[in-house]
Amino acid sequence: MQVPLLRHLFHWRHLRTVLQIPLLIVSVAMILDGLLGPSLAPKNLATTLSWVHFRGALVLVLLCAGNFFCLACPFMLARNMARRFFHPRLNWPQKLRNKWLSVGLFALILFCYEEFSLWSSPWWTAWLIVAYFLAVLVVDGLFKHASFCKFVCPIGQFNFVASAISPLEVKVRDLEVCDDCGTKDCIRGRRAPGPSLVVIQRGCELALFQPLKVGNMDCTFCLDCVHACPHDNIGILSRLPASELMVDPRRSGIGRFSQRKDLAALAIVFSFGALLNAFGMVSPVYALESWLAGILHVNSKAPVLGLLFVMFLVLEPALLLGLAAWLTQIWGGSRRALVPLAVRYTYGLVPLGFGMWLAHYSFHFLTGLYTVVPVTQSAFARLGRTVFGSPRWTLLGIPMRAVQPLEVGFLVLGLAGSLLVIHQLAESDCAERPLRAFAPWAAVSVVLWLAAMWMMFQPMDMRGTFLAG
Amino acid sequence: MLLASGCRKPAVETQSAVAIEYGISPQPVRVGSAILTVKLRDAAGKPVAGALVSLEANMSHPGMAPVFGEAREGAPGQYQGALDFAMPGDWVVLIHVTLRDGRKLERQASVPGVAAN
Repeated sequence: MQVPLLRHLFHWRHLRTVLQIPLLIVSVAMILDGLLGPSLAPKNLATTLSWVHFRGALVLVLLCAGNFFCLACPFMLARNMARRFFHPRLNWPQKLRNKWLSVGLFALILFCYEEFSLWSSPWWTAWLIVAYFLAVLVVDGLFKHASFCKFVCPIGQFNFVASAISPLEVKVRDLEVCDDCGTKDCIRGRRAPGPSLVVIQRGCELALFQPLKVGNMDCTFCLDCVHACPHDNIGILSRLPASELMVDPRRSGIGRFSQRKDLAALAIVFSFGALLNAFGMVSPVYALESWLAGILHVNSKAPVLGLLFVMFLVLEPALLLGLAAWLTQIWGGSRRALVPLAVRYTYGLVPLGFGMWLAHYSFHFLTGLYTVVPVTQSAFARLGRTVFGSPRWTLLGIPMRAVQPLEVGFLVLGLAGSLLVIHQLAESDCAERPLRAFAPWAAVSVVLWLAAMWMMFQPMDMRGTFLAG
Repeated sequence: MLLASGCRKPAVETQSAVAIEYGISPQPVRVGSAILTVKLRDAAGKPVAGALVSLEANMSHPGMAPVFGEAREGAPGQYQGALDFAMPGDWVVLIHVTLRDGRKLERQASVPGVAAN
């Protein structure tokens, strides 16, 4: 950051804690209200803040700035407090040093969201937050560094992928300064002189060595590297959004994107999951679920939902991406094998997926923007404090008709981003016939975009179960 | 008629010993106007007249527009009001009752699966 005031702010050692404290207080309030407050979701802090405000603010901040939620993550504050008493001694298991576990957890959370209608249950939402705190404390209580953030946290993985689209990145200002650096504090951290070797400043806990770091993948914006660098050579700098998806260098702490099937799977769940999550809230999904229930002869939601998830997160991507990869091979003349080819181009779908998340979550956020006011008023009133007055339940947000063009804009932006990334990948992959490599993946993007647009204009229908009506 | 259409078991408010029964029609409930009928009875089963009954419908998802309505007394202890369900999905209706002596009661009624027109 070259902006004077912001530069000082981001260099302030206590910035993260100051941002985390209010979010921790809000999280505790959400848990308490979720467990003890009204059972009706629109009247409860847990559900309103989680499913309307947090998600919407998250994607908008990712779009406009970067991964600032991870910076202000309240779970990490709890972890840091716990680590004052418990020092982890184990290293994260070698076999789990990838994204497969977090991909599974990400898909599981999407599944639970539908299965338990989390949006309508303050109780379940509160327990989800409690489970998150417990998981952080257990994982990072046992394992060193930021194992939870890097290998477990589903929200973190969402942020890592989505922040590929962000205009800001934590990176080195001048690589020549790093060439002359002898201490590498940005990754090693700084210890107190003397025999105690107490860490006085952490280096990157996610194993991202700044001079070789490319993009936002795995970066929590924790600013440890900014504080550790003795040369003031690391900052939050601007860059071209999605540019990190257009190149395939060896990245510190990650390797090459094209060689990471687990990361590609994460990008698939991110992109196709965006459509599936939105599909779960429009009328046609219930017709499809009822039809599937009839075929399967089941009356419960879980098996039908499970089948839908397999269809949309496994079979559909396998079919579309496999077909596109095959066409790129035979038509574009790419020399890569089928799976590596599919892995390489899968990242091109991330902007489109982000466009869908953005359209979906910003819709709820903007149309329900002011609902936080009466819910907070009501929570204080229940405590016997009427400092904020009586709840004004008529407060809503921006009218739907004003938000809908914005949603379409986000989807168009997402498609444009995907086409741009895919074109860049095709140019570097098949320099002689880039358009032939580009066409199949562009077609996949357009098909997904059309599906997203179709969903956007379906009547919204938020039900707990397809069996009800 | 009241309890034949979308009826629920009567809820007895233990503190006030006033039972609140409700019914909604037409069934199945669709997007648009629906009539909610609320019946109040005391512990002896007698109708509770002269109460103010207001209705508030919320979607199960937070952040969506609530719908408000007033129920007016027809026959003694029987109140009827219209609610305009704006969107398909699961709704929850809050029945706010203020008795003649000032006591306030509330009953929550699920209206799952409001269908599109």
